[in-house]
Amino acid sequence: MLDIKNIYKNFGDNHVLKGVSTTVEKGEVLTIIGVSGSGKSTLLRCMNLLEEPTFGEVWMEGKLMTPVDPYLHFDVIRASNTYKSLVAEGMGDEEAIEKIKAEDLLKEKHHGRAEGAEYAALMKKIYDENHIDINLGRQKMGMVFQNFNLFNNKTVKENITLAPVKIGKQRLKDAKKRGETVTKTAADIEAEADKKAMALLERIGLQEKANVYPSTLSGGQRQRVAIIRALAMEPDVMLFDEPTSALDPEMVGEVLDLIKDLVKSGMTSVIVTHEMGFAKEVSDRVIFMHDGVIAEEGTPDEVFNHPQNPRCKDFLSKVLY
Amino acid sequence: MVFLSNIVMIMTRYWQLFLIKGIGYTLLLSVIAVAGGAFFGSLMALGKRSKIKILKWIITAIVEVVRGTPMLLQLYFGVFVFPKIIPPLNALPYIYSVSIVLIINSSAYVSEIIRSGIEAVDPGQMEAARSLGLTQRTAMLSIILPQAVKNILPALGNEFITVIKETSLASTFFVGELMTQEIVVRGTTYLALECLTITGVLYFVLTFVLSKGLKRWERSMKAHA
Ligand SMILES: Nc1ncnc2c1ncn2[C@@H]1O[C@H](COP(=O)(O)OP(=O)(O)OP(=O)(O)O)[C@@H](O)[C@H]1O
Ligand SMILES: [Mg+2]
Repeated sequence: MLDIKNIYKNFGDNHVLKGVSTTVEKGEVLTIIGVSGSGKSTLLRCMNLLEEPTFGEVWMEGKLMTPVDPYLHFDVIRASNTYKSLVAEGMGDEEAIEKIKAEDLLKEKHHGRAEGAEYAALMKKIYDENHIDINLGRQKMGMVFQNFNLFNNKTVKENITLAPVKIGKQRLKDAKKRGETVTKTAADIEAEADKKAMALLERIGLQEKANVYPSTLSGGQRQRVAIIRALAMEPDVMLFDEPTSALDPEMVGEVLDLIKDLVKSGMTSVIVTHEMGFAKEVSDRVIFMHDGVIAEEGTPDEVFNHPQNPRCKDFLSKVLY
Repeated sequence: MVFLSNIVMIMTRYWQLFLIKGIGYTLLLSVIAVAGGAFFGSLMALGKRSKIKILKWIITAIVEVVRGTPMLLQLYFGVFVFPKIIPPLNALPYIYSVSIVLIINSSAYVSEIIRSGIEAVDPGQMEAARSLGLTQRTAMLSIILPQAVKNILPALGNEFITVIKETSLASTFFVGELMTQEIVVRGTTYLALECLTITGVLYFVLTFVLSKGLKRWERSMKAHA
């Protein structure tokens, strides 16, 4: 469902992700653990392109969200002038491809001309056939942040309805522009969003807070609202970045309970967390990140009870759960 | 005693020059400067966020030059240069060129006010909006700018107060604002201390009342946040 292909991320000279690949299946719960600074948040943020990967591709439900990474396509490499001249010098196919990949020899990586027309045409073809508008892709992915990030200038209910209403209305406009017959009105969209927001608020028991501003809520309440704000877009996958790390201890439970609920209802989720007990309980698969790569990966039992990687053993021996 | 009675004498004779003409022109110039500054400053702030490198570079250059040179020099420059670029200005009083300089000057400061007002909004707000699939534009208009305005408006008020004081430099070109009137009255009465005192008090009252008003308004705005 969510395909991460060989993601690299550099912040200047700081190489934070160094080739991460994984596939999140529908209904799967993947947790990402690791020491501070190992690149967990960066990986999660690359999934919905809040950070643009330096190399690599992100595919959501078979659609490409990033630009085409030529190094992931042998046919693209073979179409490049660099490859052709290497082969003309007598280098073998495999060797040339290896060299080009290892030394980052393709000069114009995206829609370029320096590698010749054939290369550019192929890059464009792959992109045109597969890419999805980034905003459309993001609408299928809900994200929950460590610091909640509720909109300060909107009430709780407006926080939840804002995106569905804005995006719903935009779709309506686009449909009209295309000349399709639409039965819905803008008012219908607002009413629907409103109804859904109230239902979601009821689910977390905060319906009386609908018309207050986020600043009046406790941390736990804010995070639960942030979660249902993401759910209001009916995403296919939820991304959680340390959803309980900014909370007072007594509020961690209510947020974890809500996430557990969600996960049990079958929501595909990727969760970065320091709550090891929670990770063990809800995960189908656990990834241990170290220094920008996946250092250990497996079922909770494999990773927590029989870790192979020495870094992972070390990490787990230091955290209490 | 003579000092006070002189002041009373000057005010009874010349109150119109000080209170109507002087303050009138001072406020007029300040409003022109800040309104023009708000308009062009917004455009400059927008331009600085664009992807066009040359545009960013030009705007940065303007801002730095305006901030790095004295206002009086800018006024001299404008009064001599603008009529050469825009010939119709030759036939008009200096106040037109002076207004243009004030607008440019204020635009530079206002563009910085707007930029820092936007940057002061928690970046998490934009990230949350984008993560929901909202466009940059929608996120800016519905989430970022409404919050930035709360930072921008008070700073804009302060800019207005600063400009009120700076317009006094325009008296060099006799454009009729408060300081010009002071020079006029001083020239006919030869009562320098009295004239300066009156003018000082008027500037002070003007800025004091405005800044108190702004503070009150700011508080009420915060209360409704
Ligand atoms: N926007 C950025 N600009 C520059 N460097 C960044 C940026 N974001 C992250 N980094 C760097 O990337 C590295 C990994 O950061 P990341 O936030 O992904 O770690 P993490 O595993 O989530 O850690 P934590 O457990 O503390 O949240 C850090 O060295 C950090 O300084
Ligand atoms: Mg993190």
